Amino acid sequence: MTFYQTEIERIRKICYSNDSQIETVIATRNYIDNNYDKNLKLDFLSHIRFTSKYHLLRLFKRYYGQTPRQYLTDKRIEKSKDNLKNGMTVTETCFAVGFESLGSFSKLFKTKTGKSPSAFQKEQLSRSKLDLEF
Amino acid sequence: MKVTLISIPVRDQEKALKFYTEKLGFLKKKDVPLEGGNRWLTLVSPEWQDGPELLLEPAPNHFEPCKVFQDALMEAGFPYTQFDVDNVDADYDRLIKLGVEFSVKPTKMGTVKFAVFNDTCGNNIQIVETL
Repeated sequence: MTFYQTEIERIRKICYSNDSQIETVIATRNYIDNNYDKNLKLDFLSHIRFTSKYHLLRLFKRYYGQTPRQYLTDKRIEKSKDNLKNGMTVTETCFAVGFESLGSFSKLFKTKTGKSPSAFQKEQLSRSKLDLEF
Repeated sequence: MKVTLISIPVRDQEKALKFYTEKLGFLKKKDVPLEGGNRWLTLVSPEWQDGPELLLEPAPNHFEPCKVFQDALMEAGFPYTQFDVDNVDADYDRLIKLGVEFSVKPTKMGTVKFAVFNDTCGNNIQIVETL
């Protein structure tokens, strides 16, 4: 066994010994992955995992290093990039990934990617057109 | 400031280029000739070609401390860096068939599953799937 494997085992015992907590956060993350386009509320998430909202929030953050809300936002932005690349309109994209207001979607998209959704799309589409021309 | 580059020390750039493209599936992005046969050689992920570039850097051949550090990591089994994958088991099966040697088989650890292989250029590389 290498030193790395010994260290991994040591850290696993200290940080990852609570299987039911791990199972809960993994299920929560999967739930977000499969339902990011819906109006997700943490109350509902905690309800299906039989735990309190604040406990679930703390657990998720403890194991994934970000809150469920932050994870959901990243997921939605990632999916919206795919949709925009595939030619979906900005408005359609906004609602398809679960945002409820075009203004907040555009603002968030720009904060996360450095570009507005329409600028991002223009760039992506012109890039694929360029690929065809050269 | 933007994070755009990840550097990996390699003993032989041409060999590394073959391993990282033919076995791991990365694409060559930049190949700039420098002095003494050295190259500025970068790769990207096929599914994220405008993402961060992987620099295959011949540093161990020119800077002894880099070689010492790389050897020590290899000896202790520590990965030099890690890549995200969708399915560790699938990549493990695929790479085993291509003759890649693993020092850690797919292993669950909390909210991730990972495995570690030898890149044949002086490094252990870890692949990780977030569960």
